[in-house]
Amino acid sequence: MNPGSDELVITLNGARRDATVDRRKLLVEALREDFETTGPKVGCATGDCGACTVLMDGEIRKSCLELAVAANGSVITTLEGISDGQLTPLQEAFWDEYAFQCGFCLSGMLFSAQDLIDRVPNPTDLEIRSAISGNLCRCTGYDTIVNAIRRAAPGSSATTRHRPSIEESEDGKSASPSS
Amino acid sequence: MISASFRYETPSSAAEAAGLLNAGAQVMGGGTWVVPALNHGVRQPKVIIDLRRAGLGGIERDGDTVRVGATCTYADVLTSSLVATELPLLKTMALGVTGGRQILNQGTIGGSVAAARPSSDAPAVVVALGGRVVVLGPDGGRIVDADTFFVGPERTVLGSNEIVVALEFSSARGLHVGYSKLKHGASSWPIVTAAAVLRDADAAGGPAVAVTLGGIAGAPLSVDLGDCLVDGQVEENRARTAIAEQVDLIEAPWSDVIASAEYRRAVAPVVGVRAVRMAAGSTAGDPA
Repeated sequence: MNPGSDELVITLNGARRDATVDRRKLLVEALREDFETTGPKVGCATGDCGACTVLMDGEIRKSCLELAVAANGSVITTLEGISDGQLTPLQEAFWDEYAFQCGFCLSGMLFSAQDLIDRVPNPTDLEIRSAISGNLCRCTGYDTIVNAIRRAAPGSSATTRHRPSIEESEDGKSASPSS
Repeated sequence: MISASFRYETPSSAAEAAGLLNAGAQVMGGGTWVVPALNHGVRQPKVIIDLRRAGLGGIERDGDTVRVGATCTYADVLTSSLVATELPLLKTMALGVTGGRQILNQGTIGGSVAAARPSSDAPAVVVALGGRVVVLGPDGGRIVDADTFFVGPERTVLGSNEIVVALEFSSARGLHVGYSKLKHGASSWPIVTAAAVLRDADAAGGPAVAVTLGGIAGAPLSVDLGDCLVDGQVEENRARTAIAEQVDLIEAPWSDVIASAEYRRAVAPVVGVRAVRMAAGSTAGDPA
């Protein structure tokens, strides 16, 4: 083995995996390049944007702030491992509430949101916004994301879409350009 | 990917870590500051000493002293009943750390103290609480008062062959505390932080009030506001003036891309008085 590389053994999405990883890699880079799980994204690589968030040894972490070599022996879940082929209720809620556009922040948002509703079954909007304060979205804005998390929370009674349809615009008239 | 190559060590004890130290080493706690610094080439150490397996976690009581291990994360602080009852200001600080739950899980108090970044939350709060930094080097340990530990931006009295192993605090039970900070948005670094501690007239030692400001100078700045107490109440205008006077005396005011020195100087008295007001309005021993 190259002296600048390490044998990395992790439990990734339920399976024991190993790879020879360049010691200079961040965990997010090893996950994407050596373990081929591209759910975690490289956004800022400074710990600000949260797009690289994964579940590591039971807690959510920003994988750009971890050295890959330091993750040896860890149990890691990426977006690829959060469900078994079906969308989770949280993913369904993001879909229903139009809570993503480009999708770059989505993987990290899902981990932060799931972490919240696992701990707080019926969070307030303030708790939701606090929970995603380490995750940046640069296209959807946050209202629809907050709606989705509120909707997916197991203790929540919110089941209807909060976003008004075009027909329900403020003046009650159709917002269609042909009207 | 990090451009420079390095060795990676995970010592299993503080003594082993101290034995590995030299001028070319970089000690790492949670990595939230060190890893980006490596990735951007700001730091290019020959060896990284990762403390995560050095047994420096844990929050314990020893008589009237609370000892917080250097690698305790903000999440550890938030879930500690000992911190909640004895050091509520520390809990309030941890709750407001920028970066979301992930950073609470990853960032360490000892790391923040050792990194000594002017805008970080922890240094000024540790000073406000009269904390002590427990240091270990090749010749043994020493304990440094937090108010002399920080000497400038990212500069401490820590030698290149020393590590922070713990923080010690006397119980702050019975003190009124407040914490306030100003920042551009939820995800931005603080511009100025203020930690206030107020002691009642009938408490041991008599009435006292002080505020410690972060982000205003290279190191935390404590301002004694005892002269602003009138019949046990803080006279806010006097406190504002007293803080402004001390801030004006700073020889090397802190400034960075987030805010100029002038801006920090202008807002510091306001943020400081907010923290004092929170302390005055709080029940002794309750989180701010």
